[in-house]
Amino acid sequence: MARYTCRRILTGFLSLFVLITVTFFLVRIIPGSPFQRGGVSETVVEAIEQEYGLNEPLFTQYISYIGGVLHGDLGISYQDPSVRVTEVIARAWPVTASVGAAALIVSLILGTGLGILSAVSGRRSVKQMISAGGMIAAGIPGFAAAILLMLVFSVKLKLLPASGLLSPVHYILPVAALSLYPAAMVSRLVSSTLETELTKDYVLFARAKGLGRRQVIFTHALKNAYLPVINYIGPASASLLTGSFVVESIFTIPGLGREFVGSITNRDYTLILGLTVFMGAVVILVNLITDLLCAWLDPKTRRAYREERA
Amino acid sequence: MNVLEVKNLSVQYPGAEGASEIVKDISFTVEEGGITGIVGQSGSGKSTAMLAVMGLLDGRASVQYGQITVKGKAPVPGRNIAMIFQDSLSCLNPSVKIGRQITETVRMRKGCGRKEAAARAEELLETVGIRNPALRMRQYPFELSGGMRQRVVLAIALACEPDLIIADEPTTALDAVVQAQILQLLRRIVRETGTALLLVSHDMGVTAAMCRNVYVMHGGRIIEEGAAEDIFYDPSEGYTRQLLKDAKGGRLREREKRNVDDPANREDALIRMAHVTKIFDADEGIRDVSLEIRKGEILALVGESGSGKTTAARILTGMIREDKGRLYYRGQILQRGRRMDSFGGKVQMVFQDPYASLNPCLTVRQALSEALDAAAGLAGRGAVDGRTAGHRLTDQEKEERIRKILALTGLSYSDADRYPHAFSGGQRQRIGIARALITEPEVLVCDEAISSLDATTREQILELIFRVQRKIGFACLFISHDMHVVRRISDRIAVMYGGQIVETGRTKKVCSDPWHPYTKLLLEAVPEPDPVRAKKIKSGPVKEAAGTDLPDAAGGCCPFAGRCGYALECCRRERPEQYVFGDRGVSCLLYSDEHSGRRSSAYRMTSQI
Repeated sequence: MARYTCRRILTGFLSLFVLITVTFFLVRIIPGSPFQRGGVSETVVEAIEQEYGLNEPLFTQYISYIGGVLHGDLGISYQDPSVRVTEVIARAWPVTASVGAAALIVSLILGTGLGILSAVSGRRSVKQMISAGGMIAAGIPGFAAAILLMLVFSVKLKLLPASGLLSPVHYILPVAALSLYPAAMVSRLVSSTLETELTKDYVLFARAKGLGRRQVIFTHALKNAYLPVINYIGPASASLLTGSFVVESIFTIPGLGREFVGSITNRDYTLILGLTVFMGAVVILVNLITDLLCAWLDPKTRRAYREERA
Repeated sequence: MNVLEVKNLSVQYPGAEGASEIVKDISFTVEEGGITGIVGQSGSGKSTAMLAVMGLLDGRASVQYGQITVKGKAPVPGRNIAMIFQDSLSCLNPSVKIGRQITETVRMRKGCGRKEAAARAEELLETVGIRNPALRMRQYPFELSGGMRQRVVLAIALACEPDLIIADEPTTALDAVVQAQILQLLRRIVRETGTALLLVSHDMGVTAAMCRNVYVMHGGRIIEEGAAEDIFYDPSEGYTRQLLKDAKGGRLREREKRNVDDPANREDALIRMAHVTKIFDADEGIRDVSLEIRKGEILALVGESGSGKTTAARILTGMIREDKGRLYYRGQILQRGRRMDSFGGKVQMVFQDPYASLNPCLTVRQALSEALDAAAGLAGRGAVDGRTAGHRLTDQEKEERIRKILALTGLSYSDADRYPHAFSGGQRQRIGIARALITEPEVLVCDEAISSLDATTREQILELIFRVQRKIGFACLFISHDMHVVRRISDRIAVMYGGQIVETGRTKKVCSDPWHPYTKLLLEAVPEPDPVRAKKIKSGPVKEAAGTDLPDAAGGCCPFAGRCGYALECCRRERPEQYVFGDRGVSCLLYSDEHSGRRSSAYRMTSQI
């Protein structure tokens, strides 16, 4: 198991390296210079570019950037030379992560609960209602849901604040908007896999040996039904934790997603690169955690990992 | 006194065209401390009736009954009644440890603490004959063998301390030797604990070996009941007689056997494996296996699960590569990498599970024409014997081939546009056979092709394979764990144990006079549909999973030494090679020169045990 984890971390670093390389050169393809704008003359732009080392050959720039990354230095923002990229991340990520984590927890609890209800409920109406609700929730695009929620709860009813993240109450609307889709997906996954699990022989046998309905569902069927859910929630949580530009813009949350889009429009090379590297690292880490969780739940996967030879 | 009394039980399922009655007004009783049997082919409503007794049918079924009582009380699953099922792997939760699955039952029944439950669970595992229970408790179901899992399932049923255990096909998924062990265990438990047993089975042999009273079910009704002796020796119903005839292999028995020794038929081996070794991670696999399939013969490969039969077949077909050894096809060495190409589609397989081996998204026609295209493509890439490269068939030719093969395999031409889900298990297996035969193969490999079918369907498929084989004359490698079947269909037989071939020879000779101790054990373990003879079966001097305590299972000893009742000191030290006597070969030190004395060439070897 330790060997497997080590190997995964190593390949993670490798993919991160590839990611940096590809992004580095892609960013340079964007036409124009980060310092080019209205009233700035060519000579001034050239002078600044020289100062930042942008006049040097591309490959030299690349080498020096990689050198910086290895020392944990992602460079300084070209737009605002007073802050380092790492500082931008340190400022914006906790905001994004707290909203994302809240959305993750909400969608897991809500999705699992509704999924179980739909799978075990004998009544057709309950099943149909949950399934229809899930379909609608999954079908509404994130920005529409966010605006709708804002319109209803803050503009019309004036119950909840519309922007900022000052108090826990401010979290409610963005979290709701973010968790709508994953909650719907989790609920559909749980209900369909749980329904399949409940028709299996081990469930019949568990009932034949006298276990109660609740025990059969929670200690037996759910454990097996949750594997696909974890495989879905892994990548989904990666996207939640790296921030949604749409939701962050609508609710004016100073998070990572907003910084990212800003950096692209500003051609802020170092910030784009730095954020990409960071998000890449988060995605790789989350995927590793997902696989380890699967191994923890599923003894067969665990054995496969353990027996894996280099 | 009766433990279970069931009166006028009916089960209906509502369907599109009115309700369909699966169980029709049946009544039966189970005697205290005895074993009662219900026998019938699959689809006769046995399992549905048992689930109705347990009260475990889903909400769609409507159940009516006059009386269902266990010792005068209503049946409560896990209290006074317990049930075990056929497939022990799917019965146990794959991701929960064995120990937990037993202790939760104990705690549910007795309401005791964790420690006490764990102690009781170990005790139960010991009762069902599992060695080292503490280790097993920490393992997951997939880490145990089929026989051991069925023991665990039985331990769970015993944890309920019921008055009655219903066993629904408890040994159907197991090979003969393990089946004999489990049956013996069931008998012992009935004797020692006084729990009554209701044994549901399609196997007349198992029923004969176990039961005092027997009910015969057919089409949802009980058509005959009585003491086992009456049912088996003097059946009054025609259906019962038919069942008995099928079980004894009535229809195939009188077939003419083609004489393999006849020089006219004796040709060079079509495919030959020479000293092939393939070892997987956990020291499983096959070791030094030599095997040949001759033109036009049916060669049976028998042995318990895990003995390496499937591995041997997969190497033969080129699906996996061997570590060591050589393969010859029509006398020429096969290159390791391009084996599939060399065969040019002339080696085909039929698989065990007819449900999993057909793509549900392809119609029968699509599956068949895909097989034709694939074979043509392979033949085009160069066949060993330099036949002309296969040309793509025109649509008309294809259609003609499809029509022919469907007729040959007992399907109708109108089935061609239907999807697999529209067919029953037996019909699907026919499709699988049609798919394999449409390319006109020289070798057909049937990997447990009839094991998952019930007795009557099995009989039909067996007959089909046999009839088509005799008609077209392809060679067939027939892999099975069922001696009963093998004995009847094959010309020659090869017995595998622990990754090695322990005995080969003409089927008739091997079956009437087995030489290797394992072959002997295997043949004795098959229960005959005859109560007096079947009850004599002992599982022999066999210990559960004793092979593991050998010092060097990897090659320094006979693989069977740990379980062999005739093992000598040398069996644990050296590995027997194959000793050949005429057309028979046996890998047992009892037949070596050293132990049976020097022999002249005219010496006739006979069984040493």
